[in-house]
Amino acid sequence: MNKIISCVAIGLLAFLGSCHDYEEYANDPYGNFDALWTIIDEHYCFFEYKNVDWEQVGQKYRAQVLPEMTGEELFDVCAQMLKELKDGHTNLISPWDVSRYWIWEQYPVNYDERIIDEYYLNYNYRQSSGIKYQILSNNIGYMYYGDFGTVIGEGNLDVILSYLASCDGLVIDVRDNGGGFLTNVERLVARFVTERVLAGYISHKTGPGHDEFSEPYAYYFDPADDTRIKFLKPVVILTNRASFSATNNFVSIMKSLPNVRVVGDTTGGGSGMPFTSELPNGWNVRFSACSILDPYGNETEFGTEPSEGYDIDMDEADMRVGRDTILETAFAAIDEMIATGVCRQAES
Amino acid sequence: MVKTSRVILFCTTLLLHALLSFRAVAGERDSVTVGVERPVNSAFTFDLGSASILDTYLTPVKYTGLNVRAGYERMQAMKFSPERWVSQMDMGMEYQNVKNIPRNHVMHSLMAEYQWGMMHRWHIDCVQGLQLMAGGGARFRGGVIYNSGNSNNPVSAKIHLSANVQGMVVYNMRVGRLPVTFRYEATLPVIGVFFSPEYGQSFYEIYLGDRSGIVHCGWWGNRFDMRNLLTVDLHFGRTSLRLGYRGQIETSFVNNLNYRFFTHSAVVGISGEWLSLRPGGKSAERARIVSALY
Repeated sequence: MNKIISCVAIGLLAFLGSCHDYEEYANDPYGNFDALWTIIDEHYCFFEYKNVDWEQVGQKYRAQVLPEMTGEELFDVCAQMLKELKDGHTNLISPWDVSRYWIWEQYPVNYDERIIDEYYLNYNYRQSSGIKYQILSNNIGYMYYGDFGTVIGEGNLDVILSYLASCDGLVIDVRDNGGGFLTNVERLVARFVTERVLAGYISHKTGPGHDEFSEPYAYYFDPADDTRIKFLKPVVILTNRASFSATNNFVSIMKSLPNVRVVGDTTGGGSGMPFTSELPNGWNVRFSACSILDPYGNETEFGTEPSEGYDIDMDEADMRVGRDTILETAFAAIDEMIATGVCRQAES
Repeated sequence: MVKTSRVILFCTTLLLHALLSFRAVAGERDSVTVGVERPVNSAFTFDLGSASILDTYLTPVKYTGLNVRAGYERMQAMKFSPERWVSQMDMGMEYQNVKNIPRNHVMHSLMAEYQWGMMHRWHIDCVQGLQLMAGGGARFRGGVIYNSGNSNNPVSAKIHLSANVQGMVVYNMRVGRLPVTFRYEATLPVIGVFFSPEYGQSFYEIYLGDRSGIVHCGWWGNRFDMRNLLTVDLHFGRTSLRLGYRGQIETSFVNNLNYRFFTHSAVVGISGEWLSLRPGGKSAERARIVSALY
């Protein structure tokens, strides 16, 4: 009899274990503020890397919350709190506004589409899968990809790269590309490699503690199928601070390839893969949840630097005469790679 | 203490007496049988009711809304011992459309399930028409919950394979001239395996190959599910109208992720018994029909 009672008791205790409590917040200014603070506290992945004392931040902004404040006033307080994270992937989304911290607003623009279209492409270019492309007068191929959110078709890539196959080198311009799907990064990188490459490391949170992370997991990209067109000559990637998120990831991987140079400004970063959650009042909050490291195991949350010697801004005098300083530097980089036989070394 | 022991002894004696008398009756029935026909009891049901879903992988907010389910159930007395053993197959497809408290976000949940089990049956002679069944089986349940407002965590995938215990009480009676079958059934997964991503793991990372820690042994310490079904079959000739209630509970807490899924639904459907007639077969006219349920 005692054994039966013990078994039932163990079963009941186990059942209680599976029914874990969760905190429900009130739909009022304090409840919504506390819900937001807790979501970030338990899920944000860069507290330690950015040395943010979230407890202190919470106390500072909770003191500004009042029971009778309006939704807009509460939104402003919450938005200011999130800006302390200095994270372009962290946004509070209400029906009337999206809070943001866009790092590129603090740096030179370093891109003028009109100069490229008018003086380099002569308004004569092709477009496919969201990629603008053409062979320039110096027999350098030019691709502008402005949104990793636009899905690239494998067939479209074949068409583009076979059209550019006769070029001496290729410029891939990802300035002002604010990111999108990481699967597009893989698809594009696969056209510039001949063997499996280390693309980076990914780590996720395993619990609500600020230091609860999985071991960084190494992930690799394979080259595209043999039936697909690849480009193995010199490649230059053009970047500015608005090259963000998936674009930053693309740049960090391409930079590790021997036949690739990155020219322009440091990217805007954004290496944390964003998740979304919500508050009791229905506002969404987006935040960095998983950290993606570059192939060397470095954080690129604050950006990927250009290749050594190619950190350059647009020159005002150049722009006045229709010259893109960064693109001109890319031409020089390709010439240098051809002269030094970088690609032959890479292929061998 | 002595009083309690006497009560237990009395109950045990009564239960043993009852069980032995059922066996004797069943044995008698088998011994006089020339042939046995085992009709298939099939039921097509449609559920409509409410759902409540909390999945902290997607959101810390509980969503509530609509639950619909289409199901098919098949029961049959088992060949090796038709009087005593019954098999049951149950399958269903269900959809939940739930919203958050301000009703400005929607989640869609689509689940499929398949369950097979076998139960021992006892005819309770002291109450005419009453049967008790108890047994076990296996169950698969899987699907997705989709939150359209999320970025890299838009979907929570659910896969659960379990071994269950199940029990049923069936009572056949007449209401006026109408034959009626009341049934209560409870299914309780005891142990199994189920899928859950890590606390902050994206499905992109799983796609890249990091699959450690996503398959879990499910037991009552990290998962508790239960399904309750209460039906009444109103027999109008060969076809019956089935009305009832279905309640589902699914809870799990693993990888610091909390999942709670509840539904309460009204059930309506048709059921009936069909005999398999074999051309040229020995479907004896004198064959005794052993129903699984009625």
